Amino acid sequence: MEGRLTKLALKGDQRAFAELVELYKDKIYHLAYRMLNNRHEAEDIVQETFLRVYRNLDRYDDKQKFSTWIYRIGTNLCIDRLRKRKPTYSLDAEMNDQEGIDGYSMIPSDNVTPETELLLSETQRVIYEAIDSLPVKYRSVMILRYLQDLSLQEISDVLGMPVTTIKTRVHRGREFLRKKLGPKM
Amino acid sequence: MECKLAVSLMHDYLDDDLPELQQRELKEHLLSCPDCRAKFKELEQTDMLMFSLMHQNAVASDDLVSRIMDSLPKPKKERAFITWIKRHPALTAASVFLLVMLMSSVTFWNQDQQLVVRGSDLDQVVIQGDTVIVPSGKTITGNLTVENGKTQVYGEVNGNVTVIDGTLYKASTAHISGQVKSIDQAVSWLWYKVTNMFSEVAYR
Repeated sequence: MEGRLTKLALKGDQRAFAELVELYKDKIYHLAYRMLNNRHEAEDIVQETFLRVYRNLDRYDDKQKFSTWIYRIGTNLCIDRLRKRKPTYSLDAEMNDQEGIDGYSMIPSDNVTPETELLLSETQRVIYEAIDSLPVKYRSVMILRYLQDLSLQEISDVLGMPVTTIKTRVHRGREFLRKKLGPKM
Repeated sequence: MECKLAVSLMHDYLDDDLPELQQRELKEHLLSCPDCRAKFKELEQTDMLMFSLMHQNAVASDDLVSRIMDSLPKPKKERAFITWIKRHPALTAASVFLLVMLMSSVTFWNQDQQLVVRGSDLDQVVIQGDTVIVPSGKTITGNLTVENGKTQVYGEVNGNVTVIDGTLYKASTAHISGQVKSIDQAVSWLWYKVTNMFSEVAYR
């Protein structure tokens, strides 16, 4: 279906492209939101992703899954964004005096309004915090694995890394989360 | 089984990547090792939490789609033309060929400003500057063709008279037994040239 839509879009059919946007905007948004933990930046990423898809439609090879292609573009944009805003000290580094609290949990989350606060259960918040504290290379793998339900093989296609590397990162990422969540479960 | 190996198998199991035989080995180990059992439970819970919580979708703003569609570069006209060319190579080749033919014909037409008189009985004809005169009392047997000049007929012509890019004056004394044709447009000129060429080829 995506293959047919990309062909139509390539011929200049704007409605076909709008359909592609409808199909993938939430997935890319969710991916970007969890990667960056910021609503505005996530929407920027979604916009930029579709712009790139549109510009490179002629280079899309329909032997490849469309989802793999668009996730690759989205993930790379997120990683670039994170790299650019990387501060001089690492937020991932835990602070000496308060164990278990790192830079991320000290940044006020921008999505907390009274309504969302009610909706966000304690466990959810804990999990999101745990994901945000994952180092980027593990975070992208874990988000693709759990959020987008991708198989290890698909993640390796998206990130352009060997499956064995992906497997190791999933294991370490899961181990990391288990340690973070362990006492709270 | 060592606990270190067991942990690695636990991850493989959670990734749906553990063969059945090893699944049984892992199960045996878990039954005999309480530490690993606790660890496996934690990992499984982490896995389940991740899957369930992640699927509660964060939703992008409603106007995101329209913003995306508006930000797309508008397809250029020139680009559309190029894609058309790419899609119809045969038509493009044919039209380029036609264009070249037309250009060469037109340039020939423009260059042809000289007075040309053709006919079978030309010694009866008087030429003064760009004027071709058939004097009164003279008879021309055969066709007469004049290009780029004025033609004045006072006498008799036993055949067709063709005037190309010029004027024809027929006096009251004139008598033309054949057809009289005036050609002064590029297209009919071209048509004339082409038919002329064919008949010439045919008669040779």
